[in-house]
Amino acid sequence: MRQGLMIIMLMLSGSALASMAEHAQRANTAGIDVITYRTQVKDMVVIVAALPAGDAMAESGNAAVPTLSGMMLDRGTKLLDMFAIADKLDSVGAEVAFEVGTQSLHIKAKCLKKDLPLVIGLIASELRTPALLPAEFAKAKQQFIGGLQASAQNSGARAREAFERNIYPDGHPNRPHTLAEFVAAAKSATLDEVKAFQAKYYGPAHMAMVVAGDVSDADTRAEIAKAFSGWSGGQDFIRSSAKSSAASAAREVTVPLADKPSVTVILGQATGLRYRDPDALALRVGTAILGRGFTGRLMAAVRDREGLTYGINAVVADDSISDGAWDVSASFAPALLQKGIASTRRELDRWWKDGVTAQELAVRKQGIIGDYLVGLSTTGGLADQVLINVQRGYDVSWLDEYSQAVNAVTLAQVNAAIKAHLNPESMVLVEAGSVGPSPH
Amino acid sequence: MLLNLDDSRPRVLRRAQWSPGVLCAAICALQASAAPAPTPTVAPAPADLGTAGFTHVKSLGGIDEYRLDHNGLTVLLAADHSAPVVTFEVTYRVGSRNEVTGVTGATHILEHMMFKGSDAFNDAKGNSIKQMLERVGGQFNASTGADRTNYFATIGKENLEGYIAIEADRMRNLWLHESDRQSEMTVVRNEYERGKNDPDNVLVEEVTAAAYVALPYHHPTIGWRSDIEHVPISKLRDFYNTFYWPNNATVTVVGDFDTANALALIKKYYGAYPHSPEAIPTIYTEEPPQTGERRVVVKRPGEAGTVIIAHKVPNGRDADQPALEMLDAILSSGKNARLYRALVDQGLALSAGSGTDLHYDLSLHTLYAAMNPGTEHQAAEKALWTEIDKIKASGVSAAEVARVKQQYIAQDAYKRDGTAAIASELSEWIGVGDWTLYVTFPQKVQEVTPADVQRVAKKYFNEDETTTGWFVPVAEKAGAGS
Repeated sequence: MRQGLMIIMLMLSGSALASMAEHAQRANTAGIDVITYRTQVKDMVVIVAALPAGDAMAESGNAAVPTLSGMMLDRGTKLLDMFAIADKLDSVGAEVAFEVGTQSLHIKAKCLKKDLPLVIGLIASELRTPALLPAEFAKAKQQFIGGLQASAQNSGARAREAFERNIYPDGHPNRPHTLAEFVAAAKSATLDEVKAFQAKYYGPAHMAMVVAGDVSDADTRAEIAKAFSGWSGGQDFIRSSAKSSAASAAREVTVPLADKPSVTVILGQATGLRYRDPDALALRVGTAILGRGFTGRLMAAVRDREGLTYGINAVVADDSISDGAWDVSASFAPALLQKGIASTRRELDRWWKDGVTAQELAVRKQGIIGDYLVGLSTTGGLADQVLINVQRGYDVSWLDEYSQAVNAVTLAQVNAAIKAHLNPESMVLVEAGSVGPSPH
Repeated sequence: MLLNLDDSRPRVLRRAQWSPGVLCAAICALQASAAPAPTPTVAPAPADLGTAGFTHVKSLGGIDEYRLDHNGLTVLLAADHSAPVVTFEVTYRVGSRNEVTGVTGATHILEHMMFKGSDAFNDAKGNSIKQMLERVGGQFNASTGADRTNYFATIGKENLEGYIAIEADRMRNLWLHESDRQSEMTVVRNEYERGKNDPDNVLVEEVTAAAYVALPYHHPTIGWRSDIEHVPISKLRDFYNTFYWPNNATVTVVGDFDTANALALIKKYYGAYPHSPEAIPTIYTEEPPQTGERRVVVKRPGEAGTVIIAHKVPNGRDADQPALEMLDAILSSGKNARLYRALVDQGLALSAGSGTDLHYDLSLHTLYAAMNPGTEHQAAEKALWTEIDKIKASGVSAAEVARVKQQYIAQDAYKRDGTAAIASELSEWIGVGDWTLYVTFPQKVQEVTPADVQRVAKKYFNEDETTTGWFVPVAEKAGAGS
């Protein structure tokens, strides 16, 4: 009875939660796609923004320049040096951070309501008039190179790099450079290259900004208009490219690292799918049945029943802007590695051949929706979700429509999507760590 | 469970993750315009809220504390109706400090075993705790620390009773089967192994083991490998039957709930248990004074070294902790922090910071530098000491202290966004021994003066009471890997 009521409630959730999108206001301000969202939180404001200026935009140029360009943003503007900026933020407890991803330069900020004008003004100054001092550039390069070198022994990072380089073809935006390539590129990067990159990519044309929390739409837009007025330029994301083939040849890749008691394993393939493609949501729901949470088939079998790993999960990833990937990732002790991989493949094959059941689908859809709604209960979680929705090409109404879309996925769609877009026999297997004799 | 990082997370790097200095601020007291630090007030018991069977203990900062008369269970309620979700968390006042040789890591293994089910709720019936919570989309987990173990979920408010029923059930009715121990042992061992992949984790573990010789903080929360592999199920059962009782637990409810209903549910499900038949054991061990510097070196393959300088400081409830927190913020918070300027901006380190791993007994303060490849350990260590010595000799400025106080005021607003973060921080303070520090600690930070910071630097950062650790990267051995 209780479960029945819950399902009814979730089926109604689309209409019951229709008010979510009503709290959002979306309009172009100073050339930027700005969404404001008033939440119940008092005094606090969260800003998340993104513009196309990620690693993929290096294209055939210097691979390190996008990241170095992002690293220079909080190192001073034409008017304020790095420490003066930090002082302004620290003195009111505000936080601003820049992060360079595959396709985006991300901006994340948090402040008190009263300090929103200050924070928006600083973000605008950092984007529009960075100081780009040679001495600071030298420090940024040193930190970037040092960070890369420090990650050389990280089994997770090395496994991910090997996996993505083996599933994405040359020219695909999700194909990463190697660690060595990044280091070499960082060493040779010049300030002129950074200036040219910022001039080409930093602009409002394809930038989205979400301002959520205790905000007034009118006041927020006024501040953005004042801070960003006259800014121009910017490039689009790389949405079309050398599309990955879902049926790449199977291969095994070993990344040897010494003295690693746990081996990182990734098994998967490119999907050729983007988030909004017709089968993508069905594949996501099916993948959750295989590898999400403690009750996913992989955790239930490989961890709970067989005790072979601390964690194993399956995901569809990196498909928001370009076509992405599907993978299972896990960790195994070297002595249990082959047994762990065999168990993983057994569960994967069974899932792929036999599909999922109606009962599994019903329960998992309910869980996905519940988890989604819990995630929206914080201002930060909501802002992140709105931004990624916009990057995926949805309007703010998708906040409400997502639950309905999940509920509408059928058993036939899930099992067909699994078969259509995945092939366990042609997946790439990466093992990173001390793959050899172990103490037990 | 899956995302429990307590065992493997390098505590020296944790200041920004839970250390009260960053996350802590009074729920309602610190407004931007408030010049003097407000005084905590003890409110009268909320009236007519269905509290029969409970004793109202105190109210502070929007949090009401009750005691379930029947068995001594402590209850903390913090209402927040901004979203239709609720976080429910139970904190047991038991952690790795309650372990001895042979059973190190038992608290953590038991935490894993708590997901194995009971007669009433189990996988076969389709109603186990993970099945229930994943069915409704709850965000849940458990974690083990040195001073406490907690279990928690954030769920739609309509699911509160279902979760309390299962959570309360496993307090006393847990299955503890040898077959489950065997399969879970290898899971925990892999968790241990994953932690050992990171040399910094190993370094923190060895520094901590060297800093404490008598207190049980000497051993890692995840335990020594041999104990993980061999602890018998009988020992786990003894542990469970010693510590998992209502009078050794605090349940915390944060979010969109009705007080009368929440108390009624807690009474319905936890009220079924008696007070523990035996008194909960206390720890009487004391750490002997340290009379000379201790040093440890970890050599593993890698590219960049690490330096850690550790000092034992008082327990987390001590009156000097707010001044130490202020000192750490001045050293570590943001690009204006002294360690950033002295080490990162000067190219010696990729990152540098300081913080205190607050404990029920002696806490551990650490300074660290994650070095740039090519930096000499001596240079990084000297730079860390130089900054401490400057504070000991010349103190800190009023402007630095004022800046940190403003950061606390902003944190006060930030922490209200989300029920899980509030419950989590309350749980840490419960482990330290006084949940009210969640409210009062930030207020005490507002009272810290520059002189206080200089005083605690002089008092605690003495060379003869130092434990220093170096991670020294070495080239991979020939033939390593395959």
